[in-house]
Amino acid sequence: MRPFHPSYIITALGQIIPFLWVTLATMAGTVFFGSLAGLMLARAKVRRRPLSRALANVYIYMTRCIPSIVLLFIIYYGLPELLLAFGININGFDKAFFVITTFSVLFAANMAEVFRSAYEAIDPGQREAALSAGLSEWEAFFRILLPQCVTVALPNFANALVNLMKEGSLAYTIGMVDVMGKGQLMIGMNNGSYSLEIYLALAILYWALTIVLEKGFGYVEKRLSSGKRTAAA
Amino acid sequence: MLEIRNVHKSFGDNEILKGVDLKVEKGDIIVILGPSGSGKTTLLRCINFLERAEKGTMDFDDIHTEFKTASRHQINAIRKRTGFVFQNYNLFANKTALQNVTEGLTVARKVPKQEADARAREALDRVGLSDRYDYYPSQLSGGQQQRVGIARAIAVNPEVILFDEPTSALDPELVGEVLNVMKALARDGATMIVVTHEMGFAQDVASRVVFMSEGTVVEQGAPKEIFRAPKDPRTAQFLRRILRDDYEYSI
Repeated sequence: MRPFHPSYIITALGQIIPFLWVTLATMAGTVFFGSLAGLMLARAKVRRRPLSRALANVYIYMTRCIPSIVLLFIIYYGLPELLLAFGININGFDKAFFVITTFSVLFAANMAEVFRSAYEAIDPGQREAALSAGLSEWEAFFRILLPQCVTVALPNFANALVNLMKEGSLAYTIGMVDVMGKGQLMIGMNNGSYSLEIYLALAILYWALTIVLEKGFGYVEKRLSSGKRTAAA
Repeated sequence: MLEIRNVHKSFGDNEILKGVDLKVEKGDIIVILGPSGSGKTTLLRCINFLERAEKGTMDFDDIHTEFKTASRHQINAIRKRTGFVFQNYNLFANKTALQNVTEGLTVARKVPKQEADARAREALDRVGLSDRYDYYPSQLSGGQQQRVGIARAIAVNPEVILFDEPTSALDPELVGEVLNVMKALARDGATMIVVTHEMGFAQDVASRVVFMSEGTVVEQGAPKEIFRAPKDPRTAQFLRRILRDDYEYSI
């Protein structure tokens, strides 16, 4: 067996880091589309319209039960077939398209629950006070309710983001070259040697990313709830 | 100035308001009394369209509207001419005391920020909170929060201020500071409709006491008449119970 080379971890990191932007960009895309869809789902859930509410519940239930790797393959192989039936050819699309689609579908379900619970955590009196002060529903939502929702939702959102980042590493299975994909390629090109060093390099990278995310969100959380914190003390 | 007629409101099968009439003139201090469940709070909330009454009409100065069909435009116009003080204060948790007061001025009424700030400070000064402009609601005591709530209601120069049990959520020792502010407003000529259980306030300040029971106005009149010689047995019974309780508390 080949001896362990700690120094190769550094070498591997040097080659993997240039692909960090792919990981981050797919995450950003997923967060954008997933949050948007999640917002709509949450809205469907809090408004008391039976049909849209039932549909949202079915969606959330179904997507929560599918392992992400299964959905990834279903979308990677199935979506082009489906769209071809409508005369749309997406076979040439970038792999990132399928990755972002898959994880947006999953992320939306998580976000729907995060947004819904945040919205329901806000006292209905806040909206009433805003309306009776003469604000429109729209103004009440954006100026009074939403800022409070954000504060409540932030910790859960950060959690979902870290999960997304880790799950996102599965994208290599359909051949997307993000940090995980690059690591796999390196292992392949080395005929399987240095794989431990490369996986350790990846672990370090994901670890660092998680810390950055958590610290970043921790900071924002603190800033946003400055008014509340002092009161609790 | 404000007249509502035949207001009906149900929650499911439970009919809370069964045809209530109320007339308010400028400068009136109307105190609404009644046992819990009699519909006092619901009536107040219907006037501000926080609940939508099924039946009844409202005349507010030149605005004539049916509760059921009032347009968004009419509702907003009525809300802008009224102030509402909530039992649980409902201060905007993400805004400072000053911002709580300016919000209705700058956003809803498009008052320039500088003027809004000045008016908000004046309103907060009136309720005795000159030193709390930049505090968040969570940093204030219940009594201070409610006084911010009152400042928020008066800063917009409303034609009538609606008080929904403004002292019910307060610790007993904080009730006085809020009542004093309300008394000062009354002296300054504000028009107020107050739902409360503070009998002392009703006796001292009210220009008219309205007694409600089971969704109707049972009797109304000057506080002296109501408290000394209630005509309706339900009023008499309610007052006996409340006043006796007050007496026992004071022992």
